[in-house]
Amino acid sequence: MNRFGLPDLGVGIGLRTVHFGEILAGKPALDWFEVLSENFMDTGGRPLHVLERVVERYPVALHGVSLSIGSTDPLDRGYLRKLKALATRTRAAWVSDHLCFTGVLGRNTHDLLPLPYDSATLRHVTRRVKQVQDALERPLVLENPSTYLAYARSTMPEWEFLTALCDATGCGLLLDVNNVYVSSFNHGFDPRRYIDAIPAQRVVQVHLAGHTNLGTHIVDTHDGRAIPPVWKLYARLCARTGPVSTLFEWDAKIPPLAAVVREAAKARAFRTATAATGTDGA
Amino acid sequence: MAPELALGGLQHWLQAVIEAPGPVTRALASREAARLVRPGRTRDVVLPSKRLSADARVGVYQAMYLPRMLEALESDYPALAHFLGHAAWQRLVRAYVTAHPSRSYTLNELGRRLPEFVGRARVPRPAFCRDLARLEWAVAEVFDAPETPSLVERDLAAVAPGEWERARLVPVAALRLVELDHDAGTWLDSLKHETHRHPKVARRRSLLVVYRRNYGVMRREQTPAAFALLRDLVDGQPVGRAVARALGRRAAARLDGADAAFRLFREWAAMGLFQGVL
Repeated sequence: MNRFGLPDLGVGIGLRTVHFGEILAGKPALDWFEVLSENFMDTGGRPLHVLERVVERYPVALHGVSLSIGSTDPLDRGYLRKLKALATRTRAAWVSDHLCFTGVLGRNTHDLLPLPYDSATLRHVTRRVKQVQDALERPLVLENPSTYLAYARSTMPEWEFLTALCDATGCGLLLDVNNVYVSSFNHGFDPRRYIDAIPAQRVVQVHLAGHTNLGTHIVDTHDGRAIPPVWKLYARLCARTGPVSTLFEWDAKIPPLAAVVREAAKARAFRTATAATGTDGA
Repeated sequence: MAPELALGGLQHWLQAVIEAPGPVTRALASREAARLVRPGRTRDVVLPSKRLSADARVGVYQAMYLPRMLEALESDYPALAHFLGHAAWQRLVRAYVTAHPSRSYTLNELGRRLPEFVGRARVPRPAFCRDLARLEWAVAEVFDAPETPSLVERDLAAVAPGEWERARLVPVAALRLVELDHDAGTWLDSLKHETHRHPKVARRRSLLVVYRRNYGVMRREQTPAAFALLRDLVDGQPVGRAVARALGRRAAARLDGADAAFRLFREWAAMGLFQGVL
C-alpha cells in the first residue's frame, strides 16, 4: 500500500481491442489491466461486454485522456459523472489522467497539450484537481506528459510543479518513466534529476512505453519496446518507491498479446531485482 | 514578449495554431492565432530547444492534429475513405474538422455531421457519399448502443388478441432505420473482399434495418411496405394504427393484409428488434 491506501497491483498492460479475443480465450500472466476511460464511457456494445468479463478476472484502473485538468474552460460535469459511474461499475482501483489541457473555448484537439509551469497555473490546476476529487469522491492520480515545447513564462521545472500540486491537493502521481526520458531529451535536462526529485510516496503507478527518436526531438509513440535508458530510470525509481503498480503501454503497431506480456514480464523482473537489492544497480 | 497573455489566451493561441491548416508558418499567421501572438514572435511565448526553433516546436503539435482526425474519422467511415481515395479523403476531413471541430470529450462524436457535410462537399458522387456515410454512421451507432433485452416470440404470444390494437412495441436501443437512394450496403460489403471489386455506383432505393445480435452489427433490407410499418412502430405508433396505415398506403408501400403484418412481427421479434410491449 502507498500513502493513499491504494494497493500495489503488480504488473499490467493496457486493455486494447486487438487483444480482446486472446484475453478472453486464455488467462494471460498479468496482474491487472489499465482501461482507457473514454473508450468505455459511451458504449454498451462489445467493448463494455469484454470489459465486464475482464473485471471479473483482474483488477483494473481507469486512465483518461479528456479530463483537460489544465484548461481554462469549465470542467465538464457530464464527463465527470460518467467517469465516476464507470469507476464504480468496474471497481477501479483508481482514476488517472494527465497534467495537460486538451482544448479551450469548447473545442477539443484530443492532444495532451503542455501547460506553463508557473504559480498562476499551479493555483488554477490546484483548484480544479480539488473540484475533480470532490466530484469523483476519490483521489485523482495525475501523469506527467511527454512535452515537445516549453513556455517562456514557466518559472519552475515540471517535477517541482508536480510536487507542489501533490502537496496542495493530495493527488497521486502516475509517473511515466518514458515521458520523463522523452521530455528530458526534448528540453535538455537530466532525467535522473527528475526521478530523484519527485515525491516517491506520492507515486501510485508507473508507465513504461516505447518512443520514436526523430533526431531533433522524441515523440511518445507507444509503438515498441522501452529502450535500455528508460529501464534504467525505472530501476532508479523503484529503488526510491519500492514495488509500485507498473503498466506497459503499447498503443500503435500493436503486436500479439504475448509480445506485450513479455515487456510486462521484464518490468516484473526489474521490480523483483530492485526489491532484492534495494538499489537501481547503477 | 507578450506578458499580458493570460493562461486562457495562451491556450487559445496554441489551439488556434494546431487547428489551422498548412505548414506551421502559415498556421502561426492564421487570423485567429495572429490576433493573440504576432507572427514572427513565437519566441516570446515558446522557448527554442537546442535542436528546434520555437516555431518548429509548436509545429510538432500542429503536424499531429490532422493525422489524428483522419484516423478517428476513418475508424467510423472506412468505406467512405476507401471510395474517395487518400487525397480526396484528406481534403474532405480537413474541410470537415475546420467547419466542425471536435466539441466533445470523445472522438466517437466527431463524425456525427459528416453525412450531411459530405453530401454538400466537392467530392465525386456526393449523393452516394452521403448515403455511404449515413449507413456507416448507423453501423457505428448500433455498435456502441446500450445492450437491451429482446422480446422473443412467446412474449408476443402472451399479448391477448384484444390488446394488440392499442399496444406499442418498444424498439431495442441498438436499432437504426436507414433510407438510402443508392445501394450503399453492397458497396460496404465489397470492402470486405480482398479483391476490392466494388459494384458500380447506381441509384437504387434501399431501405435498411441496422441492428445488433450477439454484439455483432447486422443489416437487412426491407420492402417499402415493411419498412413503412416498422418506421411507424419504432416511432411509437400503436400497433393497430400502424397496421391500418400500412394497409391503407398506395401501391408498393401497401401491406398485403393483416396476416402479413403478423408475419413481419414474428420476423422482427426473431431479429431481436423489440424489447417490450406497452
